[in-house]
Amino acid sequence: MAESCVLGCESEELKFQMEPSGNSLKKLERKMRKCHAVVEKETGIPCSTSNPTKNVVVCNSGLSNGLTEEVVMESFMSFGTLDRIIMLPGKSCCFVVFKNLANAKDAFEHINGKLKIAQDNKPILLGYSETLPAVRPIDFRVKPPGLKVVPDFISEAEEELLLSLVNFDEDEGGDGVMKHRQVKHFGFEFRYDINNVDKDAPLEVGVPAECDFLWDRLKSRGLDFRPDQLTVNHYKPGQGIPPHVDTHSAFDEPLLSVSLSSDIVMDFRHRNGKHLPVFVPRRSLTIMNGESRYDWTHGITPRKLDVVPSEKGITANERGVRVSFTFRRIRQGECECIYKSLCDSHRRKAEDISNEIAAKLESTHVHQVYEDIADHFNETRHKPWPNVLDFVLSMKPGSIVVDIGCGNGKYMGINKNVFDMGCDRSFNLLDLCVESGYNVFNCNCLSVPLRDGIADGVICIAVIHHLANEERRKQSISEMIRVLRVGGRALIYVWAKDQNYYRKSSYLKQNRKNRKDETDITEQDEIKFSFDRVTLPIHTNRKQFLHQDLFVPWKLLNEGTISDEFLRYYHVFEENELDYLVRTFDDVEVIESYYEQGNWCIVFEKVK
Amino acid sequence: MRLGLTPAFLVKIVSSVVLIPARSVHKSELVKMKLLTHNMLTSKSMKGVTVGYPLGINVVDIKVTEVDFNPEFISRIIPKLDWSVLWKAADTIGQLDDLPKELSQEYENDNDFLKKVHHVLLEVDIVNGELVCPETGRKFPINNGIPNMLLNEDEV
Ligand SMILES: [Zn+2]
Repeated sequence: MAESCVLGCESEELKFQMEPSGNSLKKLERKMRKCHAVVEKETGIPCSTSNPTKNVVVCNSGLSNGLTEEVVMESFMSFGTLDRIIMLPGKSCCFVVFKNLANAKDAFEHINGKLKIAQDNKPILLGYSETLPAVRPIDFRVKPPGLKVVPDFISEAEEELLLSLVNFDEDEGGDGVMKHRQVKHFGFEFRYDINNVDKDAPLEVGVPAECDFLWDRLKSRGLDFRPDQLTVNHYKPGQGIPPHVDTHSAFDEPLLSVSLSSDIVMDFRHRNGKHLPVFVPRRSLTIMNGESRYDWTHGITPRKLDVVPSEKGITANERGVRVSFTFRRIRQGECECIYKSLCDSHRRKAEDISNEIAAKLESTHVHQVYEDIADHFNETRHKPWPNVLDFVLSMKPGSIVVDIGCGNGKYMGINKNVFDMGCDRSFNLLDLCVESGYNVFNCNCLSVPLRDGIADGVICIAVIHHLANEERRKQSISEMIRVLRVGGRALIYVWAKDQNYYRKSSYLKQNRKNRKDETDITEQDEIKFSFDRVTLPIHTNRKQFLHQDLFVPWKLLNEGTISDEFLRYYHVFEENELDYLVRTFDDVEVIESYYEQGNWCIVFEKVK
Repeated sequence: MRLGLTPAFLVKIVSSVVLIPARSVHKSELVKMKLLTHNMLTSKSMKGVTVGYPLGINVVDIKVTEVDFNPEFISRIIPKLDWSVLWKAADTIGQLDDLPKELSQEYENDNDFLKKVHHVLLEVDIVNGELVCPETGRKFPINNGIPNMLLNEDEV
């Protein structure tokens, strides 16, 4: 480690404590015992000095003391190949796993009580552990959805060419150590003060024509892309960029980035707590689409070493100067994405329906309507969805299955070997269930009166599209997760805005009369209905949906004439919107999501 | 929520009409609020309630119906139960018989025992009565075998 002392330490002597004498050895042992107890309390993992293992625990320093993976890597790697390093958020300990025992013992003997990398330059205290905290090893193959890294996209000659297009001032900052990366813009300037581009003020110099070979190459690989904006970033070792999302309203998708001169690890983070380090090699092309572009932040941690995958385990990769060319297309108009939490366009749009009004809207235009139409509803509902039946039938004997929003109990009593309980808001629909002999109770899907973790399966079919804002839709999902046991699964169906996703859904097919002119309804023709300051369009039955929030009429015919009409409130879902809501929660994993005849559907499992 | 009909609706309606059926099914005797359901219910989503479990039971009338006995099903359900809550509930409604207070270790092969559990879990139905939140005393009526667990706006 002496040859690459990137920590700024002056000499090896200063970094190490002197060899302890007999008396202070006892003191050290006492301190270590104390630390071991703290580790066990913090992580539940016992550690000792008497039973050497491959797992070396740094007992008195971790992320909460400012110790970084980089420093740990640098301190331990010279003793042998490392399998993994486990840094625990908010904890004052960490775990270093060696490939073999002899190396672990070697490191222990040389470093314990001597190497001063703990807080305030104190020496670190070590231990051995039999087990490790339950965190998954970093898998560099796992990437955020929509992200692609194409290695060797350009040759070394092309790398030279691109580098020659921009001259960065090496002396900027005086002593040659700049605090921040340097940036140059082409086409449009990205203004960090407004976090956007001034779309009306293009720069004199556009994207250099020398880059054109890239677009031809992309085209030959099936991607038609021509950027009108380029940002060039110049990073010295130790420099980074904070986690950020490229402003939704500023740029279209995809975002493209070519990496020059040095490899790097980019950190992608999702709001549900997921963190995926992605290895981006020199001369590669990174393409960010969909979720990775809109719903994950990306950034570069300022440090001089990256922990990267190697054939044997992990290794440290020293950073060199890196230049990135990021190519983007300026977006015209507002962003229409479904990834709302990082979307500036969404934040500017009209506020969501407030909880107070949402509750009233649901009460009048959902609950009351189902009470009124319960009998007719019972006669006219479609056949059960085959995938819902399969889900219910897949439940093992003795399972407890909860049907949230069970309606007339269409999916109850199907699997004779499970105990199924149904619940619904509607008294009249539940009466129908009782007639069939099912176990039911009245409740709202926003607060399900069941104990935590009792259900092996939950189904919620055509229910949460009746909730009038996103907070309530999330709340209903959090209730499903709460009642599930770990390992239990839930299935949700909601109406899709796109009724024509694969082929005509049965809902549209029924519109025989209007089949030829699917798009003959324009927004001007629409009839609107106002409820307590909320004005929403009334949908024309058997047509494509033009809006996400709307009233859908339920019409009754009595002896040939229309006798009554009821307006039901619906929030119809965009593609991926249901996934987006479920992924908000970090204790579930999506098993599958699909489209079935006008519905978006998702199966997820509770994992912790 | 009823709307007055406008002529515009009349035109567009024809393809999506729904016939009003005669109500053909009469309320049967198949009412069900089982002790198995009771074992799972809680009032914990009420404002100010921390556990909300177990709910008290006030019975107006119960009904005993014979249900097919499936020993495998019963022995798989048992680990999911709060046994002491089931025992107490059975005691409250006078259906304890001689169900043991402590769950025996080898119940899986004890057919007699499983049969007793089967009886209290599935064959006893509370038809009318109420469930009571143990912390606030809030009552949840059971009518026609359906517990009404709905909360008012100001209770959540
Ligand atoms: Zn957006």
